[in-house]
Amino acid sequence: MKTKIALFLPAAAALALFAAGITRAADDPPIDAETKARIDKFEQGPATVDVSKYPQGIQDNYDTFSQKCTQCHKLSRPINSDYASPDEWSRYVKRMMHKPGSGIDATDGKKIYEFLVYDSSVRKKAMLDDKLSKLSATDKAAEDAKVKEVHDKYDNK
Amino acid sequence: MNDELNGCHKSDSEPAASHAPVPVWIFALMLVLLFLGAVYFDYHSGWFDKQVYAPYPSANELALYQPKSGAAAMAAHGKAVYETVCGICHGADGLGKPGQAPPLAGSEWVARDVLSLARVPLSGLNGTIQVKGQQWNLSMAPMGAGLSDADLAAVLSYIRTSWGNNYGAVSADELKATRAAISGNVPSAAELAKMTPVERGHAVFQKYGCFQCHGENAKGGVGNPNAKTAELVPSLIYVADGYTKAELVAFISRGERNIPKMNPAGPEPPRFMPHWGGLIATNELSDLADFLFSLKPKGEDVGF
Repeated sequence: MKTKIALFLPAAAALALFAAGITRAADDPPIDAETKARIDKFEQGPATVDVSKYPQGIQDNYDTFSQKCTQCHKLSRPINSDYASPDEWSRYVKRMMHKPGSGIDATDGKKIYEFLVYDSSVRKKAMLDDKLSKLSATDKAAEDAKVKEVHDKYDNK
Repeated sequence: MNDELNGCHKSDSEPAASHAPVPVWIFALMLVLLFLGAVYFDYHSGWFDKQVYAPYPSANELALYQPKSGAAAMAAHGKAVYETVCGICHGADGLGKPGQAPPLAGSEWVARDVLSLARVPLSGLNGTIQVKGQQWNLSMAPMGAGLSDADLAAVLSYIRTSWGNNYGAVSADELKATRAAISGNVPSAAELAKMTPVERGHAVFQKYGCFQCHGENAKGGVGNPNAKTAELVPSLIYVADGYTKAELVAFISRGERNIPKMNPAGPEPPRFMPHWGGLIATNELSDLADFLFSLKPKGEDVGF
């Protein structure tokens, strides 16, 4: 029995160290894999948004969004992404829009942006509020104004 | 008294082992404690984070920091630099990759004098060339412009003495002379000091040959067959709209090896964004971002 314990202890220690190391190493991949893992996570979520309760104008913008954005990537990527603020969406939509061959002109880009801002302010409200709460008062006011602008344009119409 | 009697009685019962067996739960508890102990140990050891223990993305890069002396050290160093910077396209075996980069093994370009050879990594190379009787029409950024003379000498020596090539080593002094010979347009330190960040960024854009793929003043128009982006390398004049400065610098440093294909069954697009981190200096990256941000056409507003 003593020999068995003598063998068991180092083996168990090695196993435990290995397991503890693995739990951490698993989420520490090189940067490209990091981006990939982030995108993969988004893409595993739902691929549609229930827009039936959104204003008609936003529902129309959702159609543009679904049609244009799926040319290059799954719709679940932006839907489940951790972008939520108007500033983030403005940059992201413009980044995509300016890719050669995107087929997204300024009019479509604005529709997509408006849908994303509206949708984030409803479906990702907690995330949006959290992000805005970390901004300076001036920046927060500017972001709030942008959200309000989209709501004023589409709500009750 | 009763106990004594019982004791006497028991002496007739089944013999028992002198040591009781260790209960299984002790082993389970020990495993859990060991695991928690290991987690505690890892936690106080910075999770064995590479930032703490090994701030190098690859063994090759770590090898760059090893002592540099002797021919063997120089060869090992050259190999490490080659595999980090050149091997991605030219292949670790020096045989090149179709549609990406011509071979270096047995290439007549490698056999040329040091000045001609060193020009390629220092200035980049564009357009149609012949290598071993085959025509190549590609574009190479000046991937060596950010390397030190010693690093570039090591890597060129490695190329000139590997895979059956036997043209002798290159010294750092030769590289220094070559750099001086071709750097007529590169601003001096004194000139750089007088420039605005945007002007310095333009010099960086030129120095690293960004124009070779992104066009003059980043206006685009350079082809990239079978790339999803309309078979073009993207123009950069709108990056101010799409990126924060930190995002842009991170993207340039990281590069983008996987360019989505227009036709998924078609060939790999030949041009991709190299990983510039470690090649373009941090202050240069900052200036480069300022230059790129300055390119946004004035008066254009998409309304969001």
